[in-house]
Amino acid sequence: MSFDALHLLALRRKADLASLVQAGGIDGAVLEAALAPAIADGRVIQARGLYVLAPAGAAWLQSQYPQVFAATRADSVLAAEYQRFELINRELKTLITQWQTLEVGGKPVLNDHSNADHDARILDRLAALHERAEAQIACMAARLPRLGRYALRLSEALDRAEAGELDWVSSIRCDSYHTVWFEMHEDLLRLLDKRREE
Amino acid sequence: MNGKWTHWLADAAAPARAQIGGKAWSLAQMAALGLNVPPAFVVTTAACTAWFEGGRAWPEGLEQELADGIALLERATGRSFGGSERALLVSVRSGAAISMPGMMDTVLNLGINDEAERALASESGSAGFAADTHRRFCELYGRIVLKATPMEHANAETLRAAVLAEVGEAIPRQPVEQLKRAVMAVFDSSRSRRALTYRKHQGLPADLPTAVTIQAMVFGNLDGDSGTGVMFSRNPLSGERLPYGEYLPHAQGEDVVSGTRTPEPLDSLRRQFPQLHAQLLAGAETLERAERDMQDIEFTVERGRLYFLQSRSAKRSPEAAIRTAVDFADEGLITRAQALSRVKAEQIDAVLRPRLVETQARDALVLARGEPASPGIAAGLVVDDCDHCERLELSGQPAVLCRATTSPEDVHGMIASAAVITEQGGSTSHAAVVGRQLGKPCVVGCGDGTLALLRGRMVTVDGDRGLIYDGLLATEIPSETDHPWLARLAAWTEGRPLRAALAAAQP
Repeated sequence: MSFDALHLLALRRKADLASLVQAGGIDGAVLEAALAPAIADGRVIQARGLYVLAPAGAAWLQSQYPQVFAATRADSVLAAEYQRFELINRELKTLITQWQTLEVGGKPVLNDHSNADHDARILDRLAALHERAEAQIACMAARLPRLGRYALRLSEALDRAEAGELDWVSSIRCDSYHTVWFEMHEDLLRLLDKRREE
Repeated sequence: MNGKWTHWLADAAAPARAQIGGKAWSLAQMAALGLNVPPAFVVTTAACTAWFEGGRAWPEGLEQELADGIALLERATGRSFGGSERALLVSVRSGAAISMPGMMDTVLNLGINDEAERALASESGSAGFAADTHRRFCELYGRIVLKATPMEHANAETLRAAVLAEVGEAIPRQPVEQLKRAVMAVFDSSRSRRALTYRKHQGLPADLPTAVTIQAMVFGNLDGDSGTGVMFSRNPLSGERLPYGEYLPHAQGEDVVSGTRTPEPLDSLRRQFPQLHAQLLAGAETLERAERDMQDIEFTVERGRLYFLQSRSAKRSPEAAIRTAVDFADEGLITRAQALSRVKAEQIDAVLRPRLVETQARDALVLARGEPASPGIAAGLVVDDCDHCERLELSGQPAVLCRATTSPEDVHGMIASAAVITEQGGSTSHAAVVGRQLGKPCVVGCGDGTLALLRGRMVTVDGDRGLIYDGLLATEIPSETDHPWLARLAAWTEGRPLRAALAAAQP
């Protein structure tokens, strides 16, 4: 349990209890209990209502990964599904960039969201991508059930964006589509011992 | 031809938007303005409603009307659908009265199979192009109609096999079957889960039907007298009233998008086809006056004949947004109140952003350069540790975060930094996305070794040009009154501060 809690915290590095509960779908009291020993031995620092993963905690996690994720890393079906996910990931990155940046006469210009047409088009494509992502996450969740939670969180973000709360596409101040997506991506990289390729 | 379920789009009396959908409607508008658009017909929303009322059964007579529509397209283009010579390929697109998410994306090059590929190869003189058209069709059709996520494949044949293996349904080889299946998929997409969710949010009826537009593809790569391009009715960067655009002879739209070939300025079209160039400019002017807004126009020249493919309100830089709002009011196309409603506070912020003092920047030492990912100027001490970044911020010292790449755990460090630099990655990288989101200057992909070079130095980051200067450079902030168009706009606010007037004028 302590491992799960620390891994969850590592994906954000710094978080309050409520957002960890939301991200992990784990009961708050259970999480607190799981984090307590890590706070006691300095792997996690608790300050001003936030939990912060300490360098010792990060090192401990790295030492645990090969053993805890051994079965996952050996799962060739999951590895193949992950390759497919990476294709969607590339599209997502392009899409988020197009959400933030317009190409005007061949030059990138920040999107100030004054062109409703453009925004609607990108949201539409995000929704279409989401349908494929959901199916892909379901395939991966068939091997590792906890991944299924990402599909729910992505759906929530998309729903809010489509309801007109544009921050929910890529803001870093909320669990926007991009925030959740990158958390999931980081999770997968750690799970499968892959390097981020930009 | 107008039947029970279909409408020929060039007919003088364009049906109502609710019947044919927004996209077909704007094609009909272009045709009505006298512009040459590729021939098209539309399956009306009534057919979609009938499809669902009949329990997803093909409405009676629709199959025949589709065949009639295709026959008309064949006659108008002198091509044949699935033919072994001069093959007719079509695009199939969805279009409800109101555009909404969840509807099907456009399928291009429908009608291609092995025979049509051979026909296209001999017509274009390029077997590679024909094969690629076939492959791209399979990719789009597989993804959009059959909802497969095929891995990358080198050719149509392996793609077809992969799609079949993944979803258990084959990409049809018969063009008519391709068309019928695509039309069904468009109908169904009007009730996709996303479309339904969206309508619920917006309080729209759940059973809102879609129309389907079927349009002949035109090819810009048939010969030297063909080509493709985009044009803006004004310069979208400066807003200046000068046509702006690019033309790529002997090419398809995809060549422009993929960046495999560099387009030429619109002037090259003027040299080759002065008459088409004049037609294009006149068309742009007509569209701009009809829409009362700067237009972004896609066009193709096929064997010396100009086709207008699409026109829409142009995306523009903040500078151009301000200038065109003022100019359109001056030209009497919109009122001054409308001009104010077209400018947003963010655009003014962008135009008045601090910039480097040019004379200083010219003499400064450039330590590193990369891809500009988020605009703006900021200076600070280069650090590579997010916690260090936070400590510096707390003590009131600006820090520039430099990393090989960034990951979600670095976000707090990015928040605390004045600017972000990475060694690896391009404009879609995590650092670029987060940097833009934070509104902080960001330069990505500066190359390995950048961190070792910069760590511990004071630098100035130019996120507009992708440059990292040695030391702290001076910046200046432009003023509202010095800006020729902002100053004019400010004079139209009846004494209110410009920002307050803009806020009040927003629709």
